[in-house]
Amino acid sequence: MNSVIHTFPYLVAGWVFLCGLYGIVTSRHLVHMVVSMAVLQTSTYILLLNIGFRQSGAAPVFADLPPSTRIVDPIVQALMLTDIVVEATVVALVLAFVVKAHENAGTLSPDDLRMMRG
Amino acid sequence: MTISPALPVALPMLAAAAIAGVRRWLSRAVVDAVAILTAATNLVMCALLLTRSWDAPIVYWFGNWFPRGRMVLGVGFVIDPVGAGLATLAALLMLLALIYSSSAMESGDNHYQPLMLVFLAAMSGFVLTGDLFNLFVFFELMSTAAFALCGLKVEEPAPLQGAFNFAVTNTVGAFFTLTGLAFVYAATGALNMAQIGSLLGSRHDTLVIGGYLFLITGFLIKSAAVPFHFWLADAHAVSPTPVCVLFSGIMVELGLFAILRVTNTMFRASMGPPHTALRDVLLTVGAVSAVWGGAMCFAEHHLKRLLAFSTISHAGAMMMALAVNTPAAIAGWLVYLFAHAMAKSGLFFTAGILLHRLRTMSEPLLFARGTKLRFTAALWLLGGCALAGLPPFAISLGEELTSSATKHSDASVVLMAAFLLSGTLTAAAVFRVFMRVFCGWGDHGPADRSAEVDELPEMHEQNRVIPARMFVPALLCVLFGTVPFLLPQAVSWSGVAAARMLDQQAYIRVVYGQARSAVAQSSLAADVWSALLHSLLAVACGAALAAAAVFHKAVPRRLRWASHMEGSMVWMRSLQSGHAGDYVVWTMAGFSLLGTALFLLR
Amino acid sequence: MSQKVRLRIFWICAAGFACIYFLVAKNLPPWGHYRGPYGDVISSLSVYERHATDVVNAIDYDYRGFDTLAEEFILFTSVLGVMMLLRPPERKATPSATAEESMSPAVQLAALPCFAILILFGLYMSTHGQLTPGGGFQGGVIIASAPMLVYVAEHFRAFKRITSHPLVEGLEAAGAAGYAVIGVTAFAAGVPFLTNWVPLGVTGKVFSSGTIAAISACVGLEVATAFLLLSYTYLAEIIADAGKTK
Repeated sequence: MNSVIHTFPYLVAGWVFLCGLYGIVTSRHLVHMVVSMAVLQTSTYILLLNIGFRQSGAAPVFADLPPSTRIVDPIVQALMLTDIVVEATVVALVLAFVVKAHENAGTLSPDDLRMMRG
Repeated sequence: MTISPALPVALPMLAAAAIAGVRRWLSRAVVDAVAILTAATNLVMCALLLTRSWDAPIVYWFGNWFPRGRMVLGVGFVIDPVGAGLATLAALLMLLALIYSSSAMESGDNHYQPLMLVFLAAMSGFVLTGDLFNLFVFFELMSTAAFALCGLKVEEPAPLQGAFNFAVTNTVGAFFTLTGLAFVYAATGALNMAQIGSLLGSRHDTLVIGGYLFLITGFLIKSAAVPFHFWLADAHAVSPTPVCVLFSGIMVELGLFAILRVTNTMFRASMGPPHTALRDVLLTVGAVSAVWGGAMCFAEHHLKRLLAFSTISHAGAMMMALAVNTPAAIAGWLVYLFAHAMAKSGLFFTAGILLHRLRTMSEPLLFARGTKLRFTAALWLLGGCALAGLPPFAISLGEELTSSATKHSDASVVLMAAFLLSGTLTAAAVFRVFMRVFCGWGDHGPADRSAEVDELPEMHEQNRVIPARMFVPALLCVLFGTVPFLLPQAVSWSGVAAARMLDQQAYIRVVYGQARSAVAQSSLAADVWSALLHSLLAVACGAALAAAAVFHKAVPRRLRWASHMEGSMVWMRSLQSGHAGDYVVWTMAGFSLLGTALFLLR
Repeated sequence: MSQKVRLRIFWICAAGFACIYFLVAKNLPPWGHYRGPYGDVISSLSVYERHATDVVNAIDYDYRGFDTLAEEFILFTSVLGVMMLLRPPERKATPSATAEESMSPAVQLAALPCFAILILFGLYMSTHGQLTPGGGFQGGVIIASAPMLVYVAEHFRAFKRITSHPLVEGLEAAGAAGYAVIGVTAFAAGVPFLTNWVPLGVTGKVFSSGTIAAISACVGLEVATAFLLLSYTYLAEIIADAGKTK
């Protein structure tokens, strides 16, 4: 039982990763595809936070904590903050492609946007 | 005064921000001048860093956070000759690309130049850094700038689809890399590559293998290895010419560099010898890419896409050098990389000149229309010879060095065959275009859907004479491609750089400020005659194949397989479906296959 | 490839992916018992060395500040990219939004104090990152959401006046450049890029922690203006249409 608890949270991240991939692969709408990409990214947040988590660890802010308090790992939180910005900006950029593609081709289905075939 | 290693990153960033802030009020000429000056300054700074890194790698801690004992606190640059050399190459190509596009190319209301400068900053940071997360951040910065540059021509439908596929596949790849980074961090609790390397030691369990696998998947996508390569042709076909030059000339190679860096500084003891799984897997991937890319290249009739497929083929050949991973092979990789970057850039610039003069990139439409463009024809032919490695072009020198590292082993046959096929097929495609377009031989060739994608002219002006800013970069690229052959020290220099790159323990010692390694001496020498022989073989086969395709009516019906290869490889080309979902499925397939191989062979 | 074939290949690959992921996850350190010393060392140092009580921000803006510089430029680049992609076609005058006032006056009236509170809260967030959770990124997003409130309340004209101003673009570039400039000023003191050279102040006060606070403010400016530009670029067409129909 213990080993299940010790691994399960990591597997959640893997599950979300697969969900994101499924969304991208089966998508019939470009906006849906972009949102699936955001879902995929969410798995990296879950994974990072799970890795740095410590049971009964406090948030790494020492404004009102004594210096020797047991805290969760602050590094993964900093990495995750970077990750969030990366995701938000990439989504913004890719959505701009989607807007333009709709303007030019009048459709948002990836099946109809096949200029690049062959 | 010594140059701060932070400047090759900070200066282009500052210049980009300055241009972007006041771009509305600046004239085109001023923006171009600032961008070109910045790129030139970067070129000088990186060259100086290269000379300084020669004696011992430069270690530079941002925020002055030196390691405390064995614990690295901050982010550090560790600049070795390979990294500094690639930064110099990136700055050189950027300079040529900016000169090519100055004053007349569509710039999207002066958005183009700051994007290019950010791209340059990202590439510099990517090759100079010694920190894994920093590597990832610069990887993302590089990708973001590349996505935007790829969609520069927004008025056409094709660029948006190509850029969209590019963005989706590469972003998915970045998440694979980030997941791998999280695994590595969980295993070691460190982000500095030297520290990770010393902490991992020779640990070889599923966590390490899996972390490595996730980590390099993103880089494999960037370096366009089969089956992660689909985005590359789409992105190249739609990008403006100078952006194509940067994609093919340096960005794809930086994907390979990242694999090399990650493998050697962190996983050398855990994944390298005595374990042979990684070597065999990378060798297979490289060989398949080299042949697949070559075949697709020969079957393609859109000039930029044709060159893009040839990049896949050559990147595969370079991947095989990485797989061998001995000083001689990496020295060969360096020579190959430089020579290929120059040859491919020259060809892309020449294709850009063709697009400027004749307003299309489709081989059937261009048929016999280039007969008067003698100078362009000469550049194109030289580029084709350079791809096949005909001396004095140096690609064959790199192949020779790489295969000399595998003498008397099974790998050497695979290497030789893949090099020969890659050179032959890509050169044949270029020669075929030369014969049809510039000589007017044969007929239009088979109809090709992908060649019918319209492409609007890139330049605002139209003139009969090719302006100097367009042909000088093309000419310079072709000329630079001969440098490693004509400069006698080039081989031993790349030998020293490669030996540095592969010495994991020395790298770790330098990061911790201990004994500086003495200058490694290299007694590497390439067999020039053997290189000449192999390249002549490739050129002859390529020319014969091209001729057989062009004059297919003269060939007996049963032996028309050259024109068959050119016209009807339907199943291979149908995989290139232009659907981002398909590309992601192939990425997953590649990941699963690679993972299965690495886990089963360990 | 048809949807059916693609899905079939997907399931095979997904099985492979799941096996690999499981094998890796099984070997990860047990959940909740992370041992890595990196974070602990920094959290024990940052309060004394940098006078910053929020360790995450000390890492983001100082110990690993160079990452954050690149990250800020990712934001800058994608805003540049979006503005380039969605730039209005040439020689097509954009109709100005003339009519408005469709939301009820009560909503519009309520939006006003909320606007002020959001701005104030965003400023507080951006300037107190070194002490408590928050910092430039969070504060910037909060500030940028205030004009969105104006948009939601359908003060189109006011929204446009705030966001379309060329100054926003200038400020965005200034925010991005400011971070790099703070890094470069360290050269004047003869220390490496991004090294703190400003007095550290008293731990727990607003004007403490040297460059961390300054960088956090710069990032706040950059993020706020970047999101304003993004929302304006995306909404520009809708606003133009609304002007036409009324």
